[in-house]
Amino acid sequence: MVTEASKARPPMAAMPFRPLTIIAKDPGLRIGGKDGPMAFAQVDVAAEKLAKGPIGYRIKVVDYNATDRVTYQDMQEYEDAKGQPVDPFAPRPGESFEDSKYQARLIGDPNFHAQNAYAIAMRTLWQFEHALGRRVRWSFGGHQLHIAPHAFAQANAFYSEPDRTLMFGYFRNAKGEAIYTSLSHDIVAHETTHALLDGLRTHFTEPSLPDQAALHEGFADIVALFSVFSIKQVVAAAIGEDGTYAKEDGRVALVKASKLSLEALQKSVFMGIGAQFGRALNDASELRRSVLRTPKDFIPDTGDEHDRGELIVAILTQTFVTLWHKRIGALGKFGRKYNLGMVVDEGAKLAQQLLTMCIRGLDYCPPTDIDFGQFLAGVLTCDREVAPDDSQFNYREVLRDTAAGYGVHPPADQCDDEGCWKQFAPKEPLSYMRSNFAAMTQSKDELFRFLWENRDEFHISTRAFSKVLSIDAAHRTGPDGINLCETICQYSQRVDLYGAETKSVLGFDRPTDMSSKTAYTSFGGGVLILDQYGQVKYHICNPLDGGQRQFDRLVHLSDTGELDGRKRIGAMRFALCHMDRMGA
Amino acid sequence: MPSPTAPPVAATLFAYQVGFGDCFLLRFTYADDSRRHIMIEFGTTGLTLKSPKDQMLRIANDVKEKCGGKLDVVVATHRHADHISGFATNKGKGSGDVIASLKPERVLQPWTEAPDVPVDSLGPDPKAGKQAFSSRRSALKQMHKTARIAVESIANGKLTMPLALADQLRFIGEDNLSNKSAVENLMTMGKNVYVFHGCDPKLGDFLPGIEVTVLGPPTLHQTDTIRKQRSRDVDEFWQMAPRRFAEAGGGDDGGKLFPNAPVFNLRLAEARWVAERIDKAQGEMMLGLVRALDAQMNNTSVILLFKAGSKSLLFPGDAQLENWRYALSTPLAAKLDDVDLYKVGHHGSLNATPKSMWNRFKKRGKTGTPDRLTSVMSTRDGKHGSTDSGTEVPRSKLVTELEAQSELVDTRDLSEDQLCSVIEIDLR
Repeated sequence: MVTEASKARPPMAAMPFRPLTIIAKDPGLRIGGKDGPMAFAQVDVAAEKLAKGPIGYRIKVVDYNATDRVTYQDMQEYEDAKGQPVDPFAPRPGESFEDSKYQARLIGDPNFHAQNAYAIAMRTLWQFEHALGRRVRWSFGGHQLHIAPHAFAQANAFYSEPDRTLMFGYFRNAKGEAIYTSLSHDIVAHETTHALLDGLRTHFTEPSLPDQAALHEGFADIVALFSVFSIKQVVAAAIGEDGTYAKEDGRVALVKASKLSLEALQKSVFMGIGAQFGRALNDASELRRSVLRTPKDFIPDTGDEHDRGELIVAILTQTFVTLWHKRIGALGKFGRKYNLGMVVDEGAKLAQQLLTMCIRGLDYCPPTDIDFGQFLAGVLTCDREVAPDDSQFNYREVLRDTAAGYGVHPPADQCDDEGCWKQFAPKEPLSYMRSNFAAMTQSKDELFRFLWENRDEFHISTRAFSKVLSIDAAHRTGPDGINLCETICQYSQRVDLYGAETKSVLGFDRPTDMSSKTAYTSFGGGVLILDQYGQVKYHICNPLDGGQRQFDRLVHLSDTGELDGRKRIGAMRFALCHMDRMGA
Repeated sequence: MPSPTAPPVAATLFAYQVGFGDCFLLRFTYADDSRRHIMIEFGTTGLTLKSPKDQMLRIANDVKEKCGGKLDVVVATHRHADHISGFATNKGKGSGDVIASLKPERVLQPWTEAPDVPVDSLGPDPKAGKQAFSSRRSALKQMHKTARIAVESIANGKLTMPLALADQLRFIGEDNLSNKSAVENLMTMGKNVYVFHGCDPKLGDFLPGIEVTVLGPPTLHQTDTIRKQRSRDVDEFWQMAPRRFAEAGGGDDGGKLFPNAPVFNLRLAEARWVAERIDKAQGEMMLGLVRALDAQMNNTSVILLFKAGSKSLLFPGDAQLENWRYALSTPLAAKLDDVDLYKVGHHGSLNATPKSMWNRFKKRGKTGTPDRLTSVMSTRDGKHGSTDSGTEVPRSKLVTELEAQSELVDTRDLSEDQLCSVIEIDLR
């Protein structure tokens, strides 16, 4: 298999990336058929001075196994004597990635599992930082997220914010073979995304309407699915060659057109999640394949957050398949075959573009009580800011139309005809007289002063606890090469209430079945997008006085017993959520 | 004695002191002074500290006396120990032996207890038929096995987890242990009727003038109409549960994960902080699994509604939201509007009194409300769940609501020398 890494390397200090071996996609993906080799590959990972573990500046692997009550020793070196990076699990001389003995050796070595999880988590982090043009924080405040690649003998893997850890379990299938969740690219990328999303929008883990929790699950799947396309050699190998075309300067691998129909792309291995896990646990071909779920599958809306999470994945993956199919159709043909390399290139570019749009769109999402329509508006708006002209590839048009087919629309009263947020238009001119733009980009207190001075226009409640969560500079390069510079400011408010106070604080009568003594917490908040002049370009918010949305949230949480916020608490929120999904 | 033809004129409910459990004797009295007796549940997983050791036998003898040596119907809503342990026999001297001697005409249980596919019930999906039924039965059996492993793992020290977690795991595990003696006694003490939502339990000959509606449990087929996840997927999950649970507890099934890998048996400084948290998460997940099987078992509960004269009396066992959801989606739900007496589900846990059900009771109201709803709760503090996690049973929030909106009869209020609460109901 081809490697991404180049053989001649400059000194480590000058290198942005280093090569490390991983399993691409999932151990359940077999090249050339169900008995074929697993898809091992050497990929680029952000270079850093790695310690044993591996432990880096953002990820700390702690290979503790609670079931066997041992910690596995890391026996690997990640640098040679000259400080050059080492990939300790690269094939040895005479071995190849496809060799069964080589693969068995790595599967049987806990150190490889640790490296695999580290490398995939770092690549997922890179996806976010690359899209946003800035470093992304963990929500717990520290720099290093723990990864436990063999945490326990449980068919579960999850992100725990209070424990600052991604915990990956393992279990045995019906034949007694161990299934390791830390070896699945799908699962590692999914869990890492939970942690990253929590860092960007920490209130998305609060109890809310089903869309909020559903977005956490769906977004994690979207990142897991699209990020695999960057490992082009694996995508090509999994699609498979159907002959070659000889050229003077080499050969061109070809693929049959019949493998690239819309239906075939939807059923391709790349559109499923967790193949090995799904087969071992449920005797299914994979855990999920949202792309095949039609709009009718989501009617009626059961209010189940797991089920609903697949809806947003279905929209994005349908968009991807539609656009990929269209772009493949525009490629030149060799008889009834296509150039495999170009097919894969188009898929990789497209996946990267959609992934970047989704990640960037988060900056344009309200920080509390989000729904799919608002997420869609965020994605469309952010993309239009960077690339106003959508006419070449129609990313936004296809995404908007696909979402509409699934009944998801940007909020009509807050968006324009293209589904993008309307620019901020205060009824009264904002007061900038007591604020300093330079200070606002550095100081949360200064930014809150600006919010406070203009609290009527921003719907800032004077009765709530308020907090500026983040101030970030965003630099994005558009297709014309011009930088778009913005400042993204995120704030939230929370208020702890009794039922009797609902009307006076939130502005509506409490639900009829809520007693005056019922205690609950409501959240509000928004994002200010400041342009290069420090002027407010967008104010995207779900305020405390949001009326119907706040009312609907109270009713939903009351019905599901989450009003006191304790049904899904802290560390176990995602763990129990995943257990629910498995049918327990 | 000829059967009365008119509806009964009065009912008396005896709510026995079984600590954490349920035991009720429901007596209907007719105008001609004849009586009919229904025993609903007989189990405990934790008597009060002041109860004598032979409390269950005392209760059985009291039931025998009150019913005049003859029970008409026995209802065992589901097979949790806190609902059926009292039916266990002991060489002719156990509390279950006493109840068996009362020769009930009918023994009502959920369709999941039927030894074979229930005759004329078609409980499971008619298309899947026998296979689906046996799959469900097998899944329930595997749940017992999982519970046994949980209890044994705690007892033999295989599991390392915080004490509070271990206590909860042990308690729920013990409640889900198979109680073979009680199950067999229920199968032989009278003619069995295995019921499901909407079926006719055919009790007219034994309870004249009383309408008995079965609101739950739904069959597999009915369940699937409201859930996208097929029941068989759930059953498949439980088939593997005992082995998974044993593995998670460090059982011998699979041995060490990497037997030859170099390891530290001590927790190194850099791993200590996170290792403790992984241990705790492991315990939480095992508890989550046992809680899930507990809920599955609760949701096999029979939900019975007795309509006699002007009054409706509701006995839902431990049915939780998933069981109620189907009942509430059908026309039979309208019968809930006029409930006069509500046996509080699952000893006062919040999940077993779903708002969508509670809100239907029109006779809820403040003190002084005419014909005010009566709630009857049999429970004990400190046995199930924790206040910190909002899972305590009974849930204080629910108790507050029950007190505010109904006349609450609570077995915790019984004095040391009282065997039961007595609730008189005028049915005219």
